[in-house]
Amino acid sequence: MKFWALIFLPSMALAEPAVPVFLAETGGVTAAYEGDYYFMVGGGPAVFDCNGDRKPDLYVPGGAAPGSLWVNESPVGGALAFARVTSGVELDNVTGAYPLDIDGDGALDLVLMRLGQTQLMRALGGCKFEAANDLWGFDAPADWTTAFAATFELGADWPTLAFGAYIDQAASAFPWGSCTDNLLYRGTAGRFAAPLPLTPSHCALSMLFTDWNGSGLPSLRVSNDREYYKGGQEQMWHLEPGAMPRLWTKEEGWARLRIWGMGIASADISGDGLPDYFLTSMADNKLQVLKGGAEVPVYSDIAGKRGVTAHRPYVGGDARPSTAWHAQFGDVNNDGRLDLYVVKGNVAEMPDFAAMDPNNLLLQGADGVFVEVGDRAGVASMNIGRGGAIVDFNLDGALDLVAVNRWEGVEIWRQEAALGHWVQVALHQPGANRDAIGAVLEVRRGDQVERREVTVGGGHAGGQLGWLHIGLGDAEAVDVRVIWPGGVAGDWLALTAGGFYDLTPAGAALWAP
Amino acid sequence: MMVLFRRTLLGLMMAAIALPAQARDAAGLQRDVLFGWYDLVLELVRHTPTYSPPVAARAFAYVGVISHEAQAALDPAAQTLAGQLNGLTALPVADPGLEYDGAVVLDAALGAAMQEFFGNTGPTGQRAMAAMRDMMAARVDEGLTPEVIARSRAFGLAIAAHVGDWAQSDGGAVVQNMGFPYDYTFGEDPKDWRPTSAISMQQAPLLPDWGKVRPFAMPLATSCPVAPHPAFSEAPDSEFYANAMAVYNASKALTPEQEEIARFWSDDPMLSPTPPGHWVSIVVQIARRDGLSARKTTEALVVLGVAVADGFIGCWHEKYVYNLVRPVTYIKRNIDPAWETLLITPPFPEYPSGHSVQSGAAEVALTAVFGDDFAFEDATHEDDGLAARSFSSFTEAAEEAAISRMYGGIHYPFANANGLEQGRCIGAYAAGLRLMK
Repeated sequence: MKFWALIFLPSMALAEPAVPVFLAETGGVTAAYEGDYYFMVGGGPAVFDCNGDRKPDLYVPGGAAPGSLWVNESPVGGALAFARVTSGVELDNVTGAYPLDIDGDGALDLVLMRLGQTQLMRALGGCKFEAANDLWGFDAPADWTTAFAATFELGADWPTLAFGAYIDQAASAFPWGSCTDNLLYRGTAGRFAAPLPLTPSHCALSMLFTDWNGSGLPSLRVSNDREYYKGGQEQMWHLEPGAMPRLWTKEEGWARLRIWGMGIASADISGDGLPDYFLTSMADNKLQVLKGGAEVPVYSDIAGKRGVTAHRPYVGGDARPSTAWHAQFGDVNNDGRLDLYVVKGNVAEMPDFAAMDPNNLLLQGADGVFVEVGDRAGVASMNIGRGGAIVDFNLDGALDLVAVNRWEGVEIWRQEAALGHWVQVALHQPGANRDAIGAVLEVRRGDQVERREVTVGGGHAGGQLGWLHIGLGDAEAVDVRVIWPGGVAGDWLALTAGGFYDLTPAGAALWAP
Repeated sequence: MMVLFRRTLLGLMMAAIALPAQARDAAGLQRDVLFGWYDLVLELVRHTPTYSPPVAARAFAYVGVISHEAQAALDPAAQTLAGQLNGLTALPVADPGLEYDGAVVLDAALGAAMQEFFGNTGPTGQRAMAAMRDMMAARVDEGLTPEVIARSRAFGLAIAAHVGDWAQSDGGAVVQNMGFPYDYTFGEDPKDWRPTSAISMQQAPLLPDWGKVRPFAMPLATSCPVAPHPAFSEAPDSEFYANAMAVYNASKALTPEQEEIARFWSDDPMLSPTPPGHWVSIVVQIARRDGLSARKTTEALVVLGVAVADGFIGCWHEKYVYNLVRPVTYIKRNIDPAWETLLITPPFPEYPSGHSVQSGAAEVALTAVFGDDFAFEDATHEDDGLAARSFSSFTEAAEEAAISRMYGGIHYPFANANGLEQGRCIGAYAAGLRLMK
């Protein structure tokens, strides 16, 4: 079986990818990420369905202001429309949010990272939530929490949560070198145990449980902000069930990389069947592909080769270096190739970095090189962006974009119409891990197979759970297969374009919006 | 250094509570002011994006000059640097009939110096500067009349402003795009430097015009030219090839201590106080260890600052005269295509070694202040996990800094040896400054 090596065949057409058209359309969402020094990072939204209608709803962290939940009332294929609801998640000092079904009841709960005590919110149904730290034995320190990831370890009946902490607030007048401990929470039977410190910690701004070598055992990647650590670097932790986490070391091949790590986007871009990692930073961003084989975590940076350094503004006339935050892969033009969306924005008023710093929309061409189209697609916002999302709000198969901005309102861009064929799938399995976190979705096109991990984490301070979108180009159908958590491979399933499918170990079921 | 800084802050806060006005310790206050601000500047230089080593050295020189002048203005035995440093005119003079407080003058001057030279730092640096200003003011103003405080602050600000105005005309005040030109024409000869980094911004060399910046004590950027390097050749029997092989062979047989030395002196911009800041850190550590006065510490800091700033100007001038290819390029082309350096190769021409030039200059400057065979321990990088190293003299430290660049795969041996000599020549100008009458 070949993975995506065919994308480099010279015989393939090298025409520029089709550029999608986006319409600025907030659908009534008016939230902004407010606050000053303590909210210079964060601002990641949570995208998930809170009322059971299968449409993605939107939680926006408010920073110093209360967060807000917006229920998606958009008609299928129509203009976006949201209604703000009072839900119990209107906490202030929220730096970001991730959905996760913590208690396995089929309703997505919310993890609210905060300046202060992180709050787990249990879903009650109908977009109502209750604070559940006490219920679940979650003992959270009053940290400045800025990163999150979750997984279900093999055999576990309760999720494992990792939290990344930023600067020690008590040292705010002299914060350099004051990074507080990242924490790992394991649990069982409905409660979390006392957290394990992930020491040393280096001011994490993104974390991701990822099976980097296809071993079936995820590790925890941590992207750290070099502005504040001393002696730090990018990190990856071994996570063996029941064992203390331990760092991947130089002796094991882990190479020191020191960047202003702000976000992680993961996808199989190289076509080797394993995840590659796009790491956001200031100036050059990184696209890491495994070069040492699956035995050792040695990576090459191919951002330049693939055209995704995204190191300075491409429009607007500001030639200073960029500042990148949220990043996410998705096939926005439905041509069967993953594209890349990056949310940009100055820290605040750093004069050596671009003040007019447009978001990037980089479309992957047939030769594997990405082409910037943010301005032509209509999403080159100059606001001070932080969090973001790629999501199909109105279930028309055309991915839409979200950017959460400092001090300015959230921006949402609805894609006018899908440019190619598509399917969307949602994974479900019995047991605690209802949404199959850690599964691998394989998408087969001819003899090419793209492998996608189902993860909770990464991005910049925000994440999503729900439909997984697959672009098909001109294809009328596609074969998909799920490698379920634990390693059991499901059957190959033939899915017809234009449909929404619920995938379970028993097979596929079509869902109609 | 973080630990030291926190100790300073704690000391300031405790002292502000405990010290009765009548027990004002003028000498101690001036030390607190000097050390407090220098602890901060060693962080600001790390966390302000434009501060590549040449730019950092320039800032250390100006901050040193401000420190000196702020003290010299109230000390009849001290000699101003006006007339000694290129283009520095007479500074404001204190009214001999009025009372000034030396600690307040120094605090005001250094606070203004931070804003002048690190005003482009990010929100955290701004916050730290504001916190330092508030804490220092609370400490040094205590027990003084409002008139003395106001007069002293105004005078300190006037000194800083005078030096700041002088700095604006040196050709190094504006650094765009982190110092990387937007356009650059490369040489086409095999000996010519080529980019060595995959980072987009670094496809042009750093600060190609820095050799045109006005020197401080050295008359001209060309006053201390570096000796020519061996003739460029790719022939295996050439001297040049042998030097490249020396770098290659060193990398293949690197001992743990040699790797430690390479990392200890690497001093990467934005991940350390930079190479000139490393030498400033050494002075601050010595001053704390030996309980030096603010005056004596400033003497070392200003001479050092001028030496390393001139060192980078002279070095950068030569770098763009010789425009020499880096070992990583040469070795991959001629010896081993798969070779990788231990350290990241800096994005500018090779010859001579900047670390070596500035370390040679620092060696001469600090030996002039502290003497030969002056032993010290250097814990600059303890917070970053690198153990302290001990040296029996500034010469030993400078020579280790120079050879560290070969261990790191960054420089040919001749670039280190000749760079040290160029630096020693440059440093002599700084060492010759008269600070006392």
